[in-house]
Amino acid sequence: MATLTAPVKETRKTEEQEALITGSEAIAVACKLANVDVVTAYPIRPYDTVMNYISQLVADGELDCEFIVAEGEHSQFEIAKHASACGARVFCGSSGVGWMYAMEALTVTPALRIPMVALVGNRTLDDPGAFGVEHNDALSVRDLGWMLVWVDNAQEALDTALIAYRVAEDRRMFVPLAISCDGAFLTHSQSLVKIPPADKVKKFLPRYDRGDLLLHPDNVISVAPQANEDWVMEIRRQNYEVTERACDVIREVYADFERIFGRKYGNPFFEEYRTEDAEVVLLGMGTLSTPVKVTIDKLRSQGKRVGFVRLRWFRPFAGAQIARALDRFKAVGVIERDLSLGSPDLSGVVATELRSAMYTHARTRPPVLDFLCGLGGREVTVEDVERITDLTFQAASGKSQPLTQWIGLRG
Amino acid sequence: MGQLFAVEVIGRGIFQDTLAKNIVRGIVLAAHNEGKLGISFGRYGDSPERNGIPAKKFAIVATDEQTMQLGMAHYQPRQVDLSIVLDDTLCKGIEAWAWDGVHAINEAVKRNGTLIVVSTQGPDAILKVIHRRNEPYKLGILPGLASFSGLWVYKDDHTDVRVLGAIAKAMPELFGWESVEKYILAKVKNGELKVQSARKTYDRLTTSEVPAGKGNPEPLPHFELLKWQDMRLGTSVKGQPQGGPIEDPVTHKVGGHRPARNDKFLKYTSRSQRPVINFETCTKCTLCWLNCPDGSFDVTPDGTYDANLESCCGCGICEAVCPVKDCITMVSEAVFTANDSQWAAFKKDKCTYLEWLNSTIETAEKERSHGFRYRGQYAEQVPKALEIAKNG
Amino acid sequence: MSTYVTTDPTQDLEAFKGVKKVPYEEYFTSGHRTCEGCESAQFMRLLAKAAGPRTIVTGATGCMYVANTSYYSTPWGIPWMHTQLGAAGSSALGTAAALRALMRKGVFKNEPINVIAFCGDGGGADMGLAAISAALTQADYNLLIVLYDNESYANTGIQVSSTSPFGANTTFSTPGKVKRIMHNRWKKNVAGLMLAGHPTCNYVATVSTSYALQAMNSVRRALAIGGPTFIHCLNPCPKGWDFDPATALDLGNLAVNTGIWPLYEVEKGELKLYGKTREIAEGRFKRLPVADYLLKQGRFAHFTEEDLAYFQSQVDDMWNNWLVPGVIPLRKKAEAAAPLKK
Repeated sequence: MATLTAPVKETRKTEEQEALITGSEAIAVACKLANVDVVTAYPIRPYDTVMNYISQLVADGELDCEFIVAEGEHSQFEIAKHASACGARVFCGSSGVGWMYAMEALTVTPALRIPMVALVGNRTLDDPGAFGVEHNDALSVRDLGWMLVWVDNAQEALDTALIAYRVAEDRRMFVPLAISCDGAFLTHSQSLVKIPPADKVKKFLPRYDRGDLLLHPDNVISVAPQANEDWVMEIRRQNYEVTERACDVIREVYADFERIFGRKYGNPFFEEYRTEDAEVVLLGMGTLSTPVKVTIDKLRSQGKRVGFVRLRWFRPFAGAQIARALDRFKAVGVIERDLSLGSPDLSGVVATELRSAMYTHARTRPPVLDFLCGLGGREVTVEDVERITDLTFQAASGKSQPLTQWIGLRG
Repeated sequence: MGQLFAVEVIGRGIFQDTLAKNIVRGIVLAAHNEGKLGISFGRYGDSPERNGIPAKKFAIVATDEQTMQLGMAHYQPRQVDLSIVLDDTLCKGIEAWAWDGVHAINEAVKRNGTLIVVSTQGPDAILKVIHRRNEPYKLGILPGLASFSGLWVYKDDHTDVRVLGAIAKAMPELFGWESVEKYILAKVKNGELKVQSARKTYDRLTTSEVPAGKGNPEPLPHFELLKWQDMRLGTSVKGQPQGGPIEDPVTHKVGGHRPARNDKFLKYTSRSQRPVINFETCTKCTLCWLNCPDGSFDVTPDGTYDANLESCCGCGICEAVCPVKDCITMVSEAVFTANDSQWAAFKKDKCTYLEWLNSTIETAEKERSHGFRYRGQYAEQVPKALEIAKNG
Repeated sequence: MSTYVTTDPTQDLEAFKGVKKVPYEEYFTSGHRTCEGCESAQFMRLLAKAAGPRTIVTGATGCMYVANTSYYSTPWGIPWMHTQLGAAGSSALGTAAALRALMRKGVFKNEPINVIAFCGDGGGADMGLAAISAALTQADYNLLIVLYDNESYANTGIQVSSTSPFGANTTFSTPGKVKRIMHNRWKKNVAGLMLAGHPTCNYVATVSTSYALQAMNSVRRALAIGGPTFIHCLNPCPKGWDFDPATALDLGNLAVNTGIWPLYEVEKGELKLYGKTREIAEGRFKRLPVADYLLKQGRFAHFTEEDLAYFQSQVDDMWNNWLVPGVIPLRKKAEAAAPLKK
């Protein structure tokens, strides 16, 4: 087994400190700062290193929480769900088919208005078994009410985890939230991370208070009695209200984060890289941002005006904002790390949703191309990005391009 | 537009599930013998059926496809031409699963439509129980005992075919006698024998007009459905509070315990029989109260136990478990219209109550079948049903 | 004494010393959409009464979910939450873990709160078996898992589960022209499984609603003894078994008196038979023929003499040849079950 960095043992009360840690460990540190109450674990690569770190933190007395190793992901997420229903701040996570094994639990958690923060170490779905990154695992819950956010470095992972608790546990929300970290590339590689001091976290993150929805003998309620067609639609409408206000809550929380921690993320929903004067733009989620940005710098030095939009929040999907940011470009190339078999034009999930948003909100109609790339853990290489950019420019100049193309495939 | 017919069959869940299913299927197949189209179904919201809890099944028949579509536009027909009630104790109101509150048995019968009730009572007794409404309708009685069995063993006592005979008489435009006969002979076991029962019913069924406004004037329990903004979040509802002691209506002594009860589902309309109780011979052993799965007993200040008739569903366990002879006796619900406390009546006038109790026990319809007890039981009970059938 | 396992204090729930001492308060009141004579509902009522107000209950999908809380209402007078079909074990664990953490951190006041999760035989013996098993190994947590056994997936309209008796008629085991017995599996011995497989589980018991007082006291013992515990209750089901609801308690007694449903408690490894089961084991009561029980139910109405004989032979085998009759099916030497034919 590879040697792990010793977990960050001391977070300081009042001073920021720096550490060289993986994305997973950054999230473990966030859990410690957030003083989570119940953590449920089950082994599956690559998310589970976060649980190694948490286990060590608990053993060393750095984190006071119940740490339960479940006998399967379904139980893992059910334990966490019920702990949250009883007022505990919870953390759990999974990858790939492990996440799918929990699917029933994942389905009911948002419907119950139960906050939870989960790490999805994005991993290819079986079959075949493979450990590398694909995004379909996290994306599979996109219709169910989960908030979904993709991060691309350990700093963002830590910050987003703190933000996640604040958003998820906001009474206006009370929803579960999954933070996606690309398997291996983010979960297992170490970078320098600034760890905020505990007193600032305390200011930012109040205690989780379930109010009159708490399951406790002092508050006699029945949660989720059987309902029928006279009631279900109204219940759905209540939960739908969360999605109506989600973007506003997220903006509010990011603004507060910046104010307290001094770290600015700007627009929470997506990051723009060299888009100001771009002719075409690429779009993607997660750690592919690194080869993309490197390639863009290279192409820019050759005079090619290309930019990149990195989507952070997939749910809520800030469709109007994204569409209006993209519609001035001559073409958009989506770098897609997922599949949506049988979809319109056989495109992946991100492109399909993006096109839907553009159809409604874009003031012009640039071609939106989808590039299936980096599936099953394969790298998105600089060469891939160059090719993608080239094809996108071709579309921009009026040369018809297939709407979905495979990049980096042998054959 | 062609002709459209909607028939509902209201029965006790599980006890009359197979019976009701046979009837609605028979309606469609009999009508089909005359070239009509039809569908039959149990209301999805009533499933899974539970023993005793009222359930509805439907048959929708039309002369042509387009009219059929019209009949299917609403999942559950809002109005029916004909309503068949398989147990007269259902007449005091029905509280099924998917409906808010208690509904009148004749709620869906359209103006001048027909309600047929399987009963050993006459129309006058039945009309004391059935709620009055603003529109006239017709009432017919199909003489018979309520036919109860269960999921796995069916009580084949000809009720199903007799109902079809009754329908042919009450609504010949839906299907005539010949169609019923043809259906029975072709599709039903022991068809030859059953045709005779059905024919008797066909010959003898009469209906009488029930004018608007005639019937039981008691209001029906009902509650409002909330708007989504007013509902509690997180799919939660408030839990039940605690109950408290009861006051003696005469001495005003306070004691015992009446639990709070769920006001969204009362359950008393599940009852085809009710326990009548002798508070004098009760030895306060607690067994009826302890073993009631519905917690329907109130503990009186005397330490005796009063079956709360707003919630009792008539399972009969209390009678079975009571160690004192004739202290608790299950009697047919058909003769009762109110859910008033028996204990209160006993306290207010002991003599009158005990007289009433004894005469009720004596005249109780003790043969009311309430489900399977042993192999061969139904075969033993069928002759009595056939005897009644012979007389129409 | 090991300090590796630390449980929090439990409520001091003494046994009710007689039916007259059973409190009046209902924590599972009327107004549930269960069948007439539903013994599973009766068990809910008894366990709620036994546990009292400082309790949290989670209930897995099944009749005791759908029927009890149907029409978006509730009979529960204590906090109750739905959980998934296979999640009784995990919901109990999650609830217990939250209480433990939040009390330790001073967010909730320190007090012993009962944690009870229920599941039916479908949710417990089948889908949720792994979760229950895992929960029973978590010795730090005080929780009780109860399995109400109506011997079928009842809420979905009566289908076969691992605890359905041999040959029972269900919608997935219908007697037909070619196959009379579609369900030839023998009932899973869930309580035996639980007590044999989890050495740190302090309490496993079988109960019957025909023995109401004992059932309540079993619940109280399980809650008071500390750690994760398990109770398996047999619940005659008028709908699925097809019988007149009034005979429910009679059938519960027959299940015991025929030896089919043994009543026992295992407390920290010590086995105690009780009720008629004890009298049978001690030779003071002769087991009634299984036919006395089976033929009172419509679900066995298709049984032939052969079927009855087979059933009897299995029950005889359990009582005559098991190392611990009714509890542990180890035999002193391998012995085939009685053959179907003479």
